Amino acid sequence: MPRFSAGSYPVALPLVAVAALALSACSGGTSASGSSAGKTLVVDTSFNLKTADPGREFEPTGQIVDKALYETLLSFKGSDVTKPVPGLASSYEQSADGKTLTLHLRAGAKFADGSAVTADDVVFSLNRVIALKGNPSFLLDGVTVTKTDASTVTLVSKKANPALPFILPNPALGILSAKTVQAHGGSATATDGAEKYLNTTSAGSGPYTLTSFNTNTQVVLTKNPKYTGSDKPTYDKIVLRNVQAPTQKLNVQRGDSQIALDLTSDQVTGLSGGLKVDSGASSDVIFLLLNRNTKVSSTTANAKFAEAVRKGIDYKSLLSLAGTGSVQPAGVIPSTFLGALPASEAAGRDLAGAKAALTASGIAKPSVTLGYASDLTVDGLSLQTLAERVQAQLKEVGITVTLAPAPTTTELDNYRNGKEQLGLWYWGPDYPDPSDYLTFLPGNLVGLRADWKAGADPTLTALGDKAATTIGDDTRKTLYEQIQTRMNASGPFIPLMQPSRNTVSAASVTGVAYNPVWTIDVAALGAK
Amino acid sequence: MKRSPEGAAKPTVEPGLEGTVKRGLLRRLPPAWRRPLAVTGGLVAAFWLVIVIAAPLLAPHDPLAQDLPRLTAPGAGHWFGTDELGRDVLSRVLYGARVSIPLALLLVAMSLLVGGVLGACAGFFGRWVDEVVMRIADLVFAFPTVILAMVVAAALGASLQNAVLAVLVVSWPSYARVTRGLVMGLRNREFVLSGRLLGFSAWRSLRVDILPNVLGPLLVLATLDIGTATLLLSGLSFLGLGAKPPTAEWGAMVADGTQQFDKWWIGVFPGLAILTVVLAFNFLGDTLRDALDPGTARTIGAEKERVA
Repeated sequence: MPRFSAGSYPVALPLVAVAALALSACSGGTSASGSSAGKTLVVDTSFNLKTADPGREFEPTGQIVDKALYETLLSFKGSDVTKPVPGLASSYEQSADGKTLTLHLRAGAKFADGSAVTADDVVFSLNRVIALKGNPSFLLDGVTVTKTDASTVTLVSKKANPALPFILPNPALGILSAKTVQAHGGSATATDGAEKYLNTTSAGSGPYTLTSFNTNTQVVLTKNPKYTGSDKPTYDKIVLRNVQAPTQKLNVQRGDSQIALDLTSDQVTGLSGGLKVDSGASSDVIFLLLNRNTKVSSTTANAKFAEAVRKGIDYKSLLSLAGTGSVQPAGVIPSTFLGALPASEAAGRDLAGAKAALTASGIAKPSVTLGYASDLTVDGLSLQTLAERVQAQLKEVGITVTLAPAPTTTELDNYRNGKEQLGLWYWGPDYPDPSDYLTFLPGNLVGLRADWKAGADPTLTALGDKAATTIGDDTRKTLYEQIQTRMNASGPFIPLMQPSRNTVSAASVTGVAYNPVWTIDVAALGAK
Repeated sequence: MKRSPEGAAKPTVEPGLEGTVKRGLLRRLPPAWRRPLAVTGGLVAAFWLVIVIAAPLLAPHDPLAQDLPRLTAPGAGHWFGTDELGRDVLSRVLYGARVSIPLALLLVAMSLLVGGVLGACAGFFGRWVDEVVMRIADLVFAFPTVILAMVVAAALGASLQNAVLAVLVVSWPSYARVTRGLVMGLRNREFVLSGRLLGFSAWRSLRVDILPNVLGPLLVLATLDIGTATLLLSGLSFLGLGAKPPTAEWGAMVADGTQQFDKWWIGVFPGLAILTVVLAFNFLGDTLRDALDPGTARTIGAEKERVA
């Protein structure tokens, strides 16, 4: 080759360059063979990562990393978030008033450095999350953590907190070794300085330890040989790489990576090479908001008009935009959570009923503006696309919808200040418990965005108050179902869909399950 | 006048064209319009103008109807494929012409009018009028065109009218500058001065004596600018500051295409539409310049033929 590039044949240069490109493209395929031998798993995802410190992280990629590095008191199995299962705590009891949660620690649990996990470590770790006032601190709002004895911890909440067992599995509430963290500048106060250390070395009891950490390129995890949990990890090494979705598709197809986490439904159709696609419903619920404020729009405030919109939307056709795995939630609570309404209760299209309701509303030629963030995609589905489809569907009913796209930053203000006539938004849960959805009730955060004021529906408010304080899964389930049935009948929100989450994996990887809290548990993955 | 028999050089081009009728028709055109690029530009521009007028007759589907299968590759029934909502891309490209081309023409006409009038005033009256107009023009020139247009469009809100206004704000100064220069050169010429001495008002002097002399160069500039205007307007729509969905607009369609990278047809066809329109009007602008300004035509023409 040097002979060619020596200068006498400048025409040959592009040819050489093309040949080199072709060669390098081919060589990409060969690197895949290394994975099966050394038990290394490469996971491609588009990074949203700021830190590996559990007390400070609350980003999707951070959750994946910390789920592998730290154990939490309680956990979830696979993708089922309706029932907390034992983690570092082998059992728990909740008091009848829902204010006290007592957890018994698993005997024999050890950190990666070999020291035992004690109640002091738990108290230190949870108090540290509270004291740091970081992104995940709200999870333990109003909670006091105390040690009862060497293997028992008590969490006391100011108000009844039946959701606490569903909150504790969050990887941000992972348990750190108090001794190690304190030795590196850490403390359970706002002056904590252990973040830098925790971004280079992990201090947990999880199935993996941190080998290298870069928020922009990649994170490498190595198996923790001293892991004491029940399910031992299969892969010796996990490499998490920051890759944009289109490249993820290329990489996983040619075997450069074994898992791609962010492909959209349109991207997974037509995948080749024996790849498996696991499509599950995301827990993000996209909904339509109809403002109740007559000053914003007397049209959307009209109850019969709301009924016309609810009956006029073709939910099935909306689902076709989001692809396999997407579902229509029957209420605002996602289908995978405790308290979700059964799918049979979901609204369907009734064009004649919609037209009748529109006539009954007394509004001739209704025209409304639909505000949405045009640059926002929810699990790969663009709100722009969805808005255009909704517009076309409501036109068939006789409702003129004017689209008002705006950048997220601009439109979010309109939404939060309750200035949208119709709004298209989504709610991503902070934790997988129905109590996170009480915020949709009259007078609460999201309710107010539709100008649904406190006192607008006293029955519903009473039901909400009761649900917030009741413990016992069955009773809670019934209460939340009642709340949603009533909201569907008279509320200003129309739940449209949960888009799909696609996890593409090589044929050799087993045990892939999408979890709404930590996306994927790399320790639970197996090989065949 | 050394190379005045332009036609003598023509046979190098003509053998490619057949038929005596065609040849006769071409021969009747002025020499500048007989070049292959001029003919191509003219034909493509005419093609798009026909589409602007006849889009509803030519389009196989309603450009807004979402009733076809989603993301289908080009094939029978939908020659340009369908987009992410199941709309026919061919119909949308055809209807897109009705948005982009008339707006680009309108925009250039308005720039010509605004820039021309301001520039003529500046050049004719001089002094403070000149200072004020040209310093404002300098101010606009100092900003990057697209960024300034984005700021204006974002401040006014996203809509096609506002996008046209935004592009107008950035495009008039070049006309003003050219007009001013031409008018300054003319205002002290004998035929203008004699008119003034005969008692012509400033307005009449501008209209009768000066306008005919500046119109040619301005028209050339305007024709060359149609391409730029199309690009700028599509660019604003691409950024979400122009056409509102679901309007079929080329820039917005290309933006949709970028969301679906492996479905090439969504972005490529509207992109090709923009490309052909811009090229066609640029070719026409070149030709117009050659035709209206024999000075450059001679040098450029001679240069071209020497290369050929």
